[in-house]
Amino acid sequence: MTFRQRHLALPVAAAIIAGCIAPLAVLVAFSFYEVEDFDLVPAFSFRAWGELATSTTDWFLIGKAVLSGVATTLFTALLGYPVALALTRLAASAKGIAIIVLLTPLYTGEIVRIYAWRIVLGGEGLINTVLLGLGLIDEPLKFLLFSPFTIGLVLTYNNLPFMVLAIWVSAEMVDRRLIEAARDLGARPVDAFFRVIFPLTTPGLAAGSLTVFALSAGEMLTPNLLGGTSGATAMALIDNLFGTAFDWPLASALALALLATLFLVASAMAGLLLRLKGARAMIGRT
Amino acid sequence: MGRIGFSVLIVAAGFLYLPLVVLAMFSFNDSALMAFPLSGFTLDWYRELAQSDNFLSGFVTSFLIAQPVGILAMLFGLMASLALTAPGFRWRGLFAVLLLTPFLVPKSVLSIAQAMIMSRIGFERGATALILAQSLVALPFATALISAVMVRFDRRLIEAARDLGASPWQAFLRVLLPQIRPALSGAYSVGVILSLADLTIAMFLAGRTQPLSLMVASEFRRELRPDLNAMQVVVLVVTALLVGLSEVYRRRRLRRLAAAA
Repeated sequence: MTFRQRHLALPVAAAIIAGCIAPLAVLVAFSFYEVEDFDLVPAFSFRAWGELATSTTDWFLIGKAVLSGVATTLFTALLGYPVALALTRLAASAKGIAIIVLLTPLYTGEIVRIYAWRIVLGGEGLINTVLLGLGLIDEPLKFLLFSPFTIGLVLTYNNLPFMVLAIWVSAEMVDRRLIEAARDLGARPVDAFFRVIFPLTTPGLAAGSLTVFALSAGEMLTPNLLGGTSGATAMALIDNLFGTAFDWPLASALALALLATLFLVASAMAGLLLRLKGARAMIGRT
Repeated sequence: MGRIGFSVLIVAAGFLYLPLVVLAMFSFNDSALMAFPLSGFTLDWYRELAQSDNFLSGFVTSFLIAQPVGILAMLFGLMASLALTAPGFRWRGLFAVLLLTPFLVPKSVLSIAQAMIMSRIGFERGATALILAQSLVALPFATALISAVMVRFDRRLIEAARDLGASPWQAFLRVLLPQIRPALSGAYSVGVILSLADLTIAMFLAGRTQPLSLMVASEFRRELRPDLNAMQVVVLVVTALLVGLSEVYRRRRLRRLAAAA
């Protein structure tokens, strides 16, 4: 067998299988193991899965992960559309700068962003000081920090650039003459958006949504460090079961249940978005 | 462009940069309290930082870990892209899905699973484990960058070189490589940047190694301190310099290529 270019896939595939597929497969095996005297013993026990099935906390936390992923996707999409559309109107030279402006916040570390938001949102932070100074509030707003609001805001912040980028790329490919034609034929800007721009940008919206969902649903640092009492996540529980509690079977089962749920929701989301495109395109044609 | 579009962009940029600007402001603020109003200008926090051995060793550790991550992401991204664009590759679809898995599985789940397998087979957690895991997470990004350039590459140029007597290796070095060099440097910087920005993987796999992000995270749980602000600003500036330099390099290459063509 002579060497061919396609054979370069082999070392890469081997690395991914060893570093990514094998650990996930091991999770499946561990979920059936037993723990005896702080040692993991190979077995075929359904103890962990049974415990998981009857635990309301575990399923509540998995549901919370899905909710935070879906909410972040929704918020970034709503905010991302106007930004992406405005970006398509920039001159070509300004677009190069816009990419750098958009991507630089992504280069900052996870911990830097979390840290910075804590200073902005704190009791004596920027927002509260400005609002107090303007006389709009009498005492610092408490819900800004260590609340579900904080988690939603920071997850949206972290993922907005990905959504904008995805929608922007597909909005750039929309032929401007189509929009002008719609306007000439009497469509209001709103109609032109929903009947021309939106259907043509759903591929970008779908790509952006899946990216944002994958990145935000499994996130544990932001809720943990900024969510206060509402910051419990399935991931933090798995971490706890893995480390302190030394219940690897339950940790594995919970991790797999989380992965499977996220995968199902992501597939449903992809299906929905693709159908949306078809439906919109039909409306557009009549 | 309209006034509305312009205001949308200004508001968006404001939102994206607000936390970073506030962070920088407090790193120059002459007060140990992170509260408004600002008290005055000082460089004390930076001076304190420069004298801190902890910070310096954390910074060096992070930097030394980021280099191999960048190189590995670039090399494996290059191999993956070459395979993806190879003619007659039957498993292309499956291979593409495989390449996406490190991106689709949440980093935290992946790191915990890796930590479990490592402790079972007796592979000690530490710098090596961290480097390998971070390279794996950077691989999808690196591959996307390189293959985006490679799909636009005209394969007939390689065939022409081969017809004129070049070996496959020579054809790669003399024809393909100059064209994709900007993308390769981009893939390297993505690896370095993701490694510097990472905290999640480090939490599970760093072992006794202490990269900067882990140090900051443990300090952060206890209190907010202005010298930590200064540290964040330094990290930010270093990363920005890195991005800027690779962008300048990329543009110079592109211009040289355009001039040669």
